[in-house]
Amino acid sequence: MINNQKDVLMDLVINNKHISIRAGGGRCLLDFLREDLSLMGTKEGCGEGECGSCTVLLDGKAVLSCMTPMERAIGREVTTIEGVGRPGNLHPLQQAMMEEGGVQCGFCTPGMIMSGVELLNRKSNPNRDEIVEGISGNLCRCTGYRKIITAIERAAEKMS
Amino acid sequence: MKVRGIGIGSMVYGVGYGFSRPDFASAEVEIAPDGTVTIWSGASELGQGIRTVLSQIVAQEFGAAYEDIRVISADTDKTPDSGPVSASRSTYVQGNAVLAACKDLKQELISLASELMGVESNLVEIQNGQIAAKDKIGKIISFSKLASEMHVQGRRTHGFGWHNNRTLDVDKNTSQGDAYSSYAWASQLVEVEVDTQTGRVKILRLASATDVGKAINPQLIEGQIEGGAVQGLGFALMEEMQVEQGVFNNANLSTYLIPTAADVPPIDSLIVEVSDPSGPYGAKGMAEPATIPTTPAILNAIADAISKRVRYSLASPENVLKVLGKIDGSGKEGFLLLEDIPYPVA
Amino acid sequence: MSDTQEIIEIKFADHRGYVPIGSSVIREDALAKVTGQAEYSGDISRPGMLHGKVLMSPFPHALVKHIDTSKAARMQGVHAVLTAKDIPGENVFGIAIADQQVLADKKVRFVGEPVALVAAEDPFIAAEAVRSIKVEYEPLQGVFDPLAGIKEDAPRVQEQGNILLHTKVRKGDYLKGFADADVVVENVYRTHGQDHVPLEPEGGIAWIENDGVLTIYSSSQYVFRDRKQVARVLNLPVNRVRSVNTTVGGGFGRKDDVTVEILVSLLASATLKPVRLVYNRHESMMTQTHRHPTITRVRTGATKEGKLTSMEGVVYGDTGPYSSLGIFVIKKMALHLGGPYYFPNYKCDSISVYTNNPIAGAFRGFGIFQSAIVHEQQMDELAAKLGIDPLEFRLKNCLREGLSFSTGQVMNEACGIAATLERLKEYMAEHSLRFSRNMEVV
Ligand code: FES
Ligand code: FES
Repeated sequence: MINNQKDVLMDLVINNKHISIRAGGGRCLLDFLREDLSLMGTKEGCGEGECGSCTVLLDGKAVLSCMTPMERAIGREVTTIEGVGRPGNLHPLQQAMMEEGGVQCGFCTPGMIMSGVELLNRKSNPNRDEIVEGISGNLCRCTGYRKIITAIERAAEKMS
Repeated sequence: MKVRGIGIGSMVYGVGYGFSRPDFASAEVEIAPDGTVTIWSGASELGQGIRTVLSQIVAQEFGAAYEDIRVISADTDKTPDSGPVSASRSTYVQGNAVLAACKDLKQELISLASELMGVESNLVEIQNGQIAAKDKIGKIISFSKLASEMHVQGRRTHGFGWHNNRTLDVDKNTSQGDAYSSYAWASQLVEVEVDTQTGRVKILRLASATDVGKAINPQLIEGQIEGGAVQGLGFALMEEMQVEQGVFNNANLSTYLIPTAADVPPIDSLIVEVSDPSGPYGAKGMAEPATIPTTPAILNAIADAISKRVRYSLASPENVLKVLGKIDGSGKEGFLLLEDIPYPVA
Repeated sequence: MSDTQEIIEIKFADHRGYVPIGSSVIREDALAKVTGQAEYSGDISRPGMLHGKVLMSPFPHALVKHIDTSKAARMQGVHAVLTAKDIPGENVFGIAIADQQVLADKKVRFVGEPVALVAAEDPFIAAEAVRSIKVEYEPLQGVFDPLAGIKEDAPRVQEQGNILLHTKVRKGDYLKGFADADVVVENVYRTHGQDHVPLEPEGGIAWIENDGVLTIYSSSQYVFRDRKQVARVLNLPVNRVRSVNTTVGGGFGRKDDVTVEILVSLLASATLKPVRLVYNRHESMMTQTHRHPTITRVRTGATKEGKLTSMEGVVYGDTGPYSSLGIFVIKKMALHLGGPYYFPNYKCDSISVYTNNPIAGAFRGFGIFQSAIVHEQQMDELAAKLGIDPLEFRLKNCLREGLSFSTGQVMNEACGIAATLERLKEYMAEHSLRFSRNMEVV
């Protein structure tokens, strides 16, 4: 429906579920997730690759979905905040973000958690510098980051 | 070469609107038969945590469980008008309105409890989460039991509260008068390290002594302090709207930079509680006070380190090098002379 | 168990939830936020929803001679193209005083000022339609500095003149205070503009309910004022407008005044369809309010014993072309320019000036942010001149119960500034911190 680009067959795995749908191509992965799949947890804070609020995992690697052409996800595995953990079955980082006060307005939170999850997948026991590095592409205007960093430390402890 | 310095910034902030401007809030609470409570509040949740604070207030007042409180907020079809969320007034004014709504129902609760327990109502009190008879150890009734009884007996279960933060206007020509009903106070200390070669300023530590009156939720307070300090830090070191002939030239996040996790120093939140009798449990506004002292503390710390002042409020590497005389100072911080700005006549 | 100790019900089983005031309970909205369930303005949609887009002025000050929307209106997928002449009610809004036009009528006053609106079936078409609108402007001389703006011959940003408000604070006899002073420090300070950057840009969606009620969901700091402002522009009774707050992704003052609420309402009522408009980051930064840039001249006097005797100051605040909250931000500065200290004599003027710069409004700190930059540097300079430790100098002069503020208001027992300074003093001792060590590190 959007713009005059041709339809493409989006065949991929999203949050552990295989999907295959035709969709108007030529858009970014963020728009595809939000508009076609109604996965609204992934946020747009800038649309220009500067804020990290659109972070998702593509084959386990954190990418900025606003800068990723949707076609690049074909045949691959995408994880969004909706696939990280649900109420009653939270990821340790989600739990730690709640307990440590890492959430205020919450707009950065999904992207922040995706970057944190990727980091924790890569490194079981990241030090502070590695955590800072891991979330340095994610802007947060509310918290001052310190409680988010602590939350990632706590989650790492719990996971190990 | 790198040099270190310490700086302090302090502030006073008149909370709310003052000057006799309308500064009210209202709220409703309803007790359901199972002891859960709903709050209707017109105050917007912006991330500051007002919904949490209001829930804590109701839990405290009724002896209800915090998890059993639900807040419906800011819907002109559903909630009463609570005034804007601004001027650091939400906990202070809206908190008082919720307290008033609780008070409106408390008489009902207490009279029913006194009947059920067979004691005078002035001996019933809500304490530590339970409703008890003051002088008779062991006479206790749970809030949920009381709630169900209220419904069984057809008592009033809906309360309304309104709080007017009344202030006076000031004299038009002198501004003399009691403009605000409450003032908030804060002081911060910053330690910086200035690289005199590059002009780069690094914040080594920040301590924020914020007088919140009463910390209803210390973690939320710390969140405000840390987030506020980092906004102030951003202003002092990197955030600048570059406006030329009315055009905001860096209106995007690739050229207008805000702090990232890498820019944040260790922050010590030092919560000070000088109770304000006009606030809920003594609480004062604190969201804005958390951000105000940071920039002056940084500017003072830089001056302490390099013995020169960056008079323009942005201590970017370029501006620091200018005051150090390392690069030409004829920029915007090399600016106005006193005589450019005459004082208006008395 | 005796009769008098009859227990109606033991509460302990229920007792799990009791947390006294002062406990750091988990935020009640945390779960929705960590799972991505919280709904922000841009996450809400309705069947048949259209997308709104705004044409913004490229000029800081210009007459609008002619607007040609015919091409945009003919485009496939475009449902409405609106300009000032399509506004059913009053083309005006403003949080403190209604001096701002919703859509530029005869002239534009800042870069980013909305000139026309489009509602279309998708955002790409909406953007293309906006690009196809032709506006003929006649650029005017602008005011880009408050000091230039107050000159007699300055171009007029607003017809009634460029001074929005002049606040005067007069306490005691400031000249006598300076005569009593042994040292005086006088300086000029400039503060720069700042963008709030709430991580969620402003957004909202509006539609007409079955019962005819115009319903708006938006990211807002005050829905009741939004509703009033929308009603005036749409020419509707206030009780026929419903304004609802979504989860808000940060405000910091930016979302205190209406942002997109009137715009989506105009489009929804013109198309009778739900219309959503969410600014992108650039649009948000161009068209919304910011922190006031200020220029301050101030002099502060003290005795050689270190007691403040007098302050004189003047503040010029650049509020942009519309008041927003600039009237009160700059007023508040005049009262707070002396900071949390006792001045027996105090004279301060603050002047809020209309310019053609980006609009300034409420931003966390609300003028006190700028005031503190001034008074705290003044305090340090005075302390240095007097050879007194900066923290002790503050303690010596800070407001206390019984002392009066710049307005003459006498402080009560809640005056907490000394307690915060004492706390910092302890902190410095705990961490062996000292001023002016001039410590060099490699
Ligand atoms: S929305 Fe993708 S980086 Fe900001
Ligand atoms: S919590 Fe608001 S941006 Fe991070």
